[in-house]
Amino acid sequence: MNEHELEKLAQRLGARAAEQLDVERTAQAVVTRLREAPRVSVVTRLWMQSAWLKVAATVVLLLGTGAVTKALWRPQALAPAGGEAAAAGLNDLSTDQLQQLLEVVDTPADGAAPVYPPDASLDDLTAPQLRELLRSLEG
Amino acid sequence: MPHAEPVAAVPTDAALIAAWQGGDEQAAAELVRRHARALARFLASAGAPDGDLDDLVQETFIRAFRGVDRFRGQCRFRTWLLTIGGNVLKDAARRARRAKVVPLHEELRATDGDPHERAVAGEAEGRLLAGLGRLSRMQREVFLLRAQQGLAYEEIAAALGTSPGAARVHYHHAVKRLKEYLA
Repeated sequence: MNEHELEKLAQRLGARAAEQLDVERTAQAVVTRLREAPRVSVVTRLWMQSAWLKVAATVVLLLGTGAVTKALWRPQALAPAGGEAAAAGLNDLSTDQLQQLLEVVDTPADGAAPVYPPDASLDDLTAPQLRELLRSLEG
Repeated sequence: MPHAEPVAAVPTDAALIAAWQGGDEQAAAELVRRHARALARFLASAGAPDGDLDDLVQETFIRAFRGVDRFRGQCRFRTWLLTIGGNVLKDAARRARRAKVVPLHEELRATDGDPHERAVAGEAEGRLLAGLGRLSRMQREVFLLRAQQGLAYEEIAAALGTSPGAARVHYHHAVKRLKEYLA
């Protein structure tokens, strides 16, 4: 079969099925369907597109705000949780154990406690004494 | 915004489209009368089952009229309509595959169906139909638009969003493969 014969055969293809189509009935059916579901105008379509864009932008904003809020809340939320954990640990200690712990905490690490006059205020201390006091307080 | 024009004795497609855009339902009906058979032939050749042909023709026109704002006159209305028909057919074939209701040959149509139907259609036509079912969609549509509808490559290219050279290549590939299949 050459190309010309192929084209002639293609031209006959579907002719019988097309002849069976009731064109007038199809035309009326199409018009009825168009009437039942009117086409969306360009203006409406654009409005719908912009409405969807607004919805999408709102969702993005909400998600972003949520993420930022979550990030800001986390440290504050964790702090009391850490304190609660420490408090829970102290609660498990007996009275004797707590006393021992207090003695350890109150004792300076190097054992050389700075000597200050008993009635001395901060204003009475010299600069080196103030630095030493700060160091002892910082541990 | 296009306005409705009074429909003349033999209005052009463009005039009917403008009239439809202005709300004239009879302009739409006239476009259906004018192009329905050519569309039906194209769809049937591209693999549409006879029983679904009326529905597919209707669906194609509905899509075309609803999306007529996108038609810029890049090709003839009929050519544009046929390409929409190709999309409608593809969607229908996809739905059929998903539902597994219609035993489709290759992508589209069962060619080993009703023997009487095939006898009426003719053995050669039946084989060509089967051969078309083996082509890619682009090859099949280019072949039908060229061989059956008699369109120029420029027109086919504009409708299918390709170049005339590419359309020519698709056509020759289709012819080659069909010849091999029918030999």
